[in-house]
Amino acid sequence: MYGWMGKVIRINLNDNKVSTEKLDENLAKEYIGGRGFGSKTLFDEVPVDVDPLGPENKLIFAVGPLTRTKVPTSGRFSVSTKSPLTNTIFDSNAGGFWGPVFKSAGYDMLIIEGRAEKPVQITINENIISINDGSKLWGKGIKETDQLLKESLGKGYQNMMIGPAGENLVKISIISVNAHRAFGRGGVGAVMGSKNVKSISVKGSKQPEIFDQEKFDFMIYETDKWIKANPLTSKAFPAFGTSVLVNLINEAGALPTRNFQQTYFEDADKISGETIANKILVKNDACYNCPLRCSRKTKTNKMEGFGPEYETIGLMGSNLGISDIEAIAEMHYISNDLGIDTISLGGTISCLMEMSEKGLIDYKIDFGDIDKTKELIYQISKREGIGDELAEGSKRFSEKYGAVQYSMQVKGLELPSYDPRGMKGRGLGYATSNRGACHLRGYMIGPEILGVPKMLDRFNPVGKSGFLINQQDFFVVVDSLAVCKFVTFAVGEEFFARLFSTVTGVEKSQQDFLDIGEKVWTMEKLYNLKAGFSKNEDQLPKRFLEEPGTGPAAGQVFEQDIMLSEYYRSRGWDENGIPTNDKLKELGLEGIDYHA
Amino acid sequence: MHEQFKQVGRDLFLQNAVSSHGGNISVRVGDRIHITRRGSMIHNLTENDIIETGLNEDDSGIALASTELKVHRGIYKSTTATAIVHAHPVNAIALSLDQDVIVPLDSEASYVLHKIPVLSAEHTIGSEEVMNIVSDALKNYKIVMLRGHGSFAIGNMLEEAYQWTSELEVAAQIINIVRSAGINVQEYRKDSDKYEQW
Ligand code: SF4
Repeated sequence: MYGWMGKVIRINLNDNKVSTEKLDENLAKEYIGGRGFGSKTLFDEVPVDVDPLGPENKLIFAVGPLTRTKVPTSGRFSVSTKSPLTNTIFDSNAGGFWGPVFKSAGYDMLIIEGRAEKPVQITINENIISINDGSKLWGKGIKETDQLLKESLGKGYQNMMIGPAGENLVKISIISVNAHRAFGRGGVGAVMGSKNVKSISVKGSKQPEIFDQEKFDFMIYETDKWIKANPLTSKAFPAFGTSVLVNLINEAGALPTRNFQQTYFEDADKISGETIANKILVKNDACYNCPLRCSRKTKTNKMEGFGPEYETIGLMGSNLGISDIEAIAEMHYISNDLGIDTISLGGTISCLMEMSEKGLIDYKIDFGDIDKTKELIYQISKREGIGDELAEGSKRFSEKYGAVQYSMQVKGLELPSYDPRGMKGRGLGYATSNRGACHLRGYMIGPEILGVPKMLDRFNPVGKSGFLINQQDFFVVVDSLAVCKFVTFAVGEEFFARLFSTVTGVEKSQQDFLDIGEKVWTMEKLYNLKAGFSKNEDQLPKRFLEEPGTGPAAGQVFEQDIMLSEYYRSRGWDENGIPTNDKLKELGLEGIDYHA
Repeated sequence: MHEQFKQVGRDLFLQNAVSSHGGNISVRVGDRIHITRRGSMIHNLTENDIIETGLNEDDSGIALASTELKVHRGIYKSTTATAIVHAHPVNAIALSLDQDVIVPLDSEASYVLHKIPVLSAEHTIGSEEVMNIVSDALKNYKIVMLRGHGSFAIGNMLEEAYQWTSELEVAAQIINIVRSAGINVQEYRKDSDKYEQW
């Protein structure tokens, strides 16, 4: 096979059985790799009613045909599982170096099943795959785990691991990649923890074969040209990373402030990308083969680490009423080391803060309280005291107190750092995303803030569904190839279809790609329908529908009904958000029982 | 929506990409199409010149919709585009008469379009034949030319489809100037010989 390595590893931890399988060629051609492989495998092998933290759930890691090639940003890979936070089908995407090296070990996919009796660490060195005792690493933070693995395994290994939060089944825990990139969302760290897997390390030296090297080199040249020509990919991201967005989003009236009670933060300047560059930036850094270099190495007076990214700045900064960039960076380092998703963490703590402010809970914490917030991060990771309740995420936590209206989530996943009242298309993306409120299921920041590909009126609720749908479907392909979404600021589906064809020898048009994206998206939707999700879960919290935004979004609310019905119509679904029989037939998904 | 149609229609005319009553533009929302009225003055579209009709099903709107409705429907059914601009750009039409593919010489269109396939049909207006060949080609290109007739461009929004049309016409004008002036082109682009394979 060209592009793919042609091999899958399956590890069953119930009996320590390791096997390798040939990659199904039809799966490769129809689902590409990464998220496509993960969603299809999960759909076929994990029934909707399994306990996400039980041995029947699976963790599926997959790379794509462009991974470990010269395609810029081709170091991404994905994990798919049933999420303990949302109970939906779920995939998360990470950068770093693990994915490309896994491919160099000779594989496209790793499926982990069952549960080990005791903590284990897994190592994959091409044909040698071993499951070793991981007790010595259990309980350690992510940085220390990475260090210990480097010392014990020797050179050339790339590590992926969970921190104490994942071990303690915190439902907002991450899987860390190379200790500073992450599968961040959905509590995937808890799934790894539930399987008693502390770490997975890989080593290898193989390379994928390219079908048409000469044409591929031409395509790479053309892609590089666009990356260099585009000011976002060549200047803004390298200079400021994702935090370049802080001021832009605030000026749009979409920066979450004090649990989304306001949409404009008066101190945005103090937490902006410019401030990071002036105060704490050490240098920028990158994932495998990435010229964008959006990652930041930073240092405060007391600590050092990577980040914070834009999302952390919004959720742990303005959304908690905190404007001290050093404190935000330190909370980010701590959360990373303990293995907690800072988006859900910020959304959960801000929910607690508002409940406390309103006297709905017997726990006192004010917006802006840095010390208590830091204390809570440790408590959540250990499930100690109130941390045990917060470890369930904001939805379950607030429901316990009859205060779910203060949890800013969709399908249980906390909102990222864009308020839908300042960006209506973004809100529609949250409502309709198969994994809950996610900013990467169609990146409406492009047309609503950055003018990519063209500027749309961000307050307009109509006529955006078609664009959003095409982006949602295209991003399935981006996650399957697998490349970084940020590179799509410079090049679109026509480039990726041509790159794919030259790498694999399998001819696909740009429209074929969008069709594959639609099929996978719809399959994910069917999984959720069968799991009991309905239109009732395609809903934003009432706050966004009833309480107007502030600052530049003053007077704006999210017009959910109009937007949702236009979206369903554009998808070819009925008014309840269920794909019609005609649509399922068109996608080759007819005959699937999706009734709950 | 009217504002956008009006702007794009006017600008196409100003660029010599349509005659006073030529060309047509549309957007798709779900299973509905909003398309310019047959015989409307493209450079001066009013609200009444934008006709709504079904993507699949006929209704009274078809009595008023553009002659090219069939082609627009075909494109929407075979691609996930949400906007179409069909224009009659004079320089591109001239080039299409003796080329199977238009390869731009200027840097802007080289970056954005690489190449524009030229398709041929016997019945060039509103025919099934045009619907089929144009729809098929647009699965892999954002703009194509129909020999002797005009361009069809797609996008996720009207402005995109308009941009491809405008880029094509400027590129074609440059090629025509270079040809008629007999300019000897000094190649400045690496791998430009590969553009035809795009
Ligand atoms: S743009 Fe950033 S996240 Fe994406 S691959 Fe590059 S360094 Fe990694």
